[in-house]
Amino acid sequence: MTPILFIEQMLNGLGYGLMLFLLAAGLTLVFGIMDVMNLAHGSLFMGGAYVAASVHTRTDSFVGAVLAALVVVVLVALVLEALLVRRLYGRDHLAQVLATFGIILVADDLVKMAWGPAPIMASAPAALSGAVEILPGLPYPAYRLVILVAGLAVAGGLYLLVNHTRVGMLVRAGASNRAMAEFMGVRVGRIFSLVFLVGAALAALAGALMGPLTAVQVGMGEEILIPSLVVLVIGGIGSIRGAFVAAMLVGLVDTIGRAFVPLALRPLLPPTLVSDLSALIAGLATYALMAAVLAFKPTGLFPARG
Amino acid sequence: MSSLFQVDGLVKRFGALVATDHVSLAVSAGEVHALIGPNGAGKSTLVNLISGLVPADAGHIVLDGVNLTPLPMHARVRAGLSRCFQITSIFREATVMDNLLLAAQAHAGSSLRWLRDRRHEQPLADTAHALAERVGLLHELGRTAGTLPHGAQRKLDVALALAARPKLLLLDEPMAGMGPEDSERMTELIHRLKADMAILLIEHDMKAVFALADRISVLVYGRVLVSGSVDEIRGNPQVQAVYLGTEDTMAEAA
Amino acid sequence: MKLERWLPWCAFAALAVFPLLAPALGLDFYVNFVRRALIFALAAASLNFILGFGGMAALGHMGFVGVGAYTLVALADAGHASAWLLWPAGAVAGGLVAAAIGSVALRTRGVYFIMITLAFAQMLYFAAVSLRAYGGDDGYNLMARPTFGLGLDSTHEPTFYWVVLALFGGVMALLNRATVSRFGHALMGIRDNEVRMQAMGYPVFRLRLADFALAGAAAGLAGALLVSHNSFVSPSVMHWTQSATLVVMVVIGGVGRRWGGPVGAAVWIGLEEIARQHTEYWHLPLGVLLVAIVFLAPRGIAGVLERRRRAAPAALAADGRPVEATP
Repeated sequence: MTPILFIEQMLNGLGYGLMLFLLAAGLTLVFGIMDVMNLAHGSLFMGGAYVAASVHTRTDSFVGAVLAALVVVVLVALVLEALLVRRLYGRDHLAQVLATFGIILVADDLVKMAWGPAPIMASAPAALSGAVEILPGLPYPAYRLVILVAGLAVAGGLYLLVNHTRVGMLVRAGASNRAMAEFMGVRVGRIFSLVFLVGAALAALAGALMGPLTAVQVGMGEEILIPSLVVLVIGGIGSIRGAFVAAMLVGLVDTIGRAFVPLALRPLLPPTLVSDLSALIAGLATYALMAAVLAFKPTGLFPARG
Repeated sequence: MSSLFQVDGLVKRFGALVATDHVSLAVSAGEVHALIGPNGAGKSTLVNLISGLVPADAGHIVLDGVNLTPLPMHARVRAGLSRCFQITSIFREATVMDNLLLAAQAHAGSSLRWLRDRRHEQPLADTAHALAERVGLLHELGRTAGTLPHGAQRKLDVALALAARPKLLLLDEPMAGMGPEDSERMTELIHRLKADMAILLIEHDMKAVFALADRISVLVYGRVLVSGSVDEIRGNPQVQAVYLGTEDTMAEAA
Repeated sequence: MKLERWLPWCAFAALAVFPLLAPALGLDFYVNFVRRALIFALAAASLNFILGFGGMAALGHMGFVGVGAYTLVALADAGHASAWLLWPAGAVAGGLVAAAIGSVALRTRGVYFIMITLAFAQMLYFAAVSLRAYGGDDGYNLMARPTFGLGLDSTHEPTFYWVVLALFGGVMALLNRATVSRFGHALMGIRDNEVRMQAMGYPVFRLRLADFALAGAAAGLAGALLVSHNSFVSPSVMHWTQSATLVVMVVIGGVGRRWGGPVGAAVWIGLEEIARQHTEYWHLPLGVLLVAIVFLAPRGIAGVLERRRRAAPAALAADGRPVEATP
């Protein structure tokens, strides 16, 4: 294990964590304020990936592709919120799970109808296809670097928005105690719609950015949803700060599980056992983390609700 | 003289608020010990601490020589402590009979038995009937609990607590929301219960308190202001000062 | 009320004679289809025992089905062939894993519980994917169907069908008995007013854990049956979307109703088959149906029937007083 490899893997973990943060941030606010469990959040992520991928393939403009993804997904989210999600407020969680699961099914087939069942090609912009030497002897893919920068920028912007603006204050109030916020005259319904749309935009951005790094296929939303929920649970419902810390932890643990555990095990065990065991540990690592956190803090690290 | 039930230095904090501030009190066997105090004094928190719904930050609770402090709620019930609730807590969708059967079942062996139809268990039905008779609900057994009038629901709440055959019964504002007739009946019921168990009675209804209590503790801002016999408390100038301004409670006692 | 009494028996009888009538009706293919539906009905019923009677929204139940299936696979791979060993082993494994997961998950409430059960199911999924000895992601082909002995041929499809039907009936009888037992009443009490149950001295955590384990065992059995039926299993059976689908089945049939699981499974699997016959985009109508159910018939079929019953003039007892409808 060279320091170079170590840093490279840690940066990958950081990037993955940041993408999870984008997803979890939207989820945690929707959940925190409206108490709505939206499983279809992953479908918005999928939408972002698909739109960005095909627009990029057609126009060769990555920025344009990302913007297109944001616009399309936010519009879809607007309709979705007005027609369905709004009506799920106040319903029990089971009803919310079912309704949003129904949306997942519909979204999967709509995507399949529009783009076909096979995974589609999403490429990084040509300009970023090379590597940047961030440290002497450490070339790091330029695209991944951009993701890191973009992720951190969005995280920073979100922090400013939530903690240093009036709207952000209203959002936090709604997340911490909806009834009280309403009594104080906050139009929580409007705030919710805004939060849902921002969350959708973040999910779309994550999808657009992650497209070139992963398989853009039907069902990708369902795959990323669970890690996002794990981040949500670890961080505490309704807390952006919690989502950030949790996302970093999850990214870290995931990387350790995937990259470092095999290296640690290799001198100790026969090779086939190493790869089986590493695959197992890598898959389980983040869930073990979640179980450990919940054992000490059953409502997460920084729950917004008292 | 060692008492049946003892609370020593009980503390509960919610953030910066000290809801229960080193509360100590004792209840002897066969005694009705009333706990009174203005709204917000921390009476409900104290009941929750004693019953185990809320964990204490410090202090001890001992019932008949058994230290209840480390025990979870259901273990305290087994040790002889039972409570009823200020906001009626019954099974609204079930019949009165089913409510009582559930209470009886808790103290008649294991509830893990999953292969026998409970309808075959006559002893449980007998216990349920006895409970109903004790509180005066015998004619309402077939009725859905949620459709009962308020007073009857409170009686059911008490009946559910009685099934535990407790050594100490925690009555959390049993007269809450009751009119004068219902209150009288509830007072009579509590008086009858006195023969079988010690009672810690939290109440606002001063008429009932003065009629039932052997000793009274006054709780103010989470602290016990004074403990004593009914006459002592009645004549205590500090207590009178505390209640000055809450004219409704004094008027009720008149 | 009377309908509810003899309808299950009629359905059982119809299911029993189905393999005999199927060839004449040209429905041979559907014998295996119904058999698969029965296995899912069993899984759904076991979930209802947690969801409906226990009041716990568990979203990872197919994980236990998978545990049962893979336990059978592990034993079969090691050379064991008797269903008398393999199937109970699946049930026991399902129960043990459920107890283990429950001991952690049941310390949480509400939405945290939903998410932790989801996450644990995904853990099981990843565990299965990592088991390369049993095919990993590609799945495992069962070489031979578990044997019954006793002169019964498990490879004879109708025979296997009847055994599955008998098991289904047996387990349903046990579960239904459990709901009227002390245990069942205690569970429903916990579902309806947990604090009061604790205040009455019930060891709530222990009871919930027992519920979880029992349901997990039934699910494990369903898993063992499933892999025996398909002669194949892959980790995808444990994917959280499968668990969500199982929850859908229970809701359609009626959460907390005796036959909610089986009815819902039958309806969903039936609709799925119909949709598949008409279009390759069959997820779409089912998804729309789901949303419609949530907004129009949240109590499922049982709820719709109950609404009809309430709208109809009430039945009168002998003394002229209306008879209260019992759920």
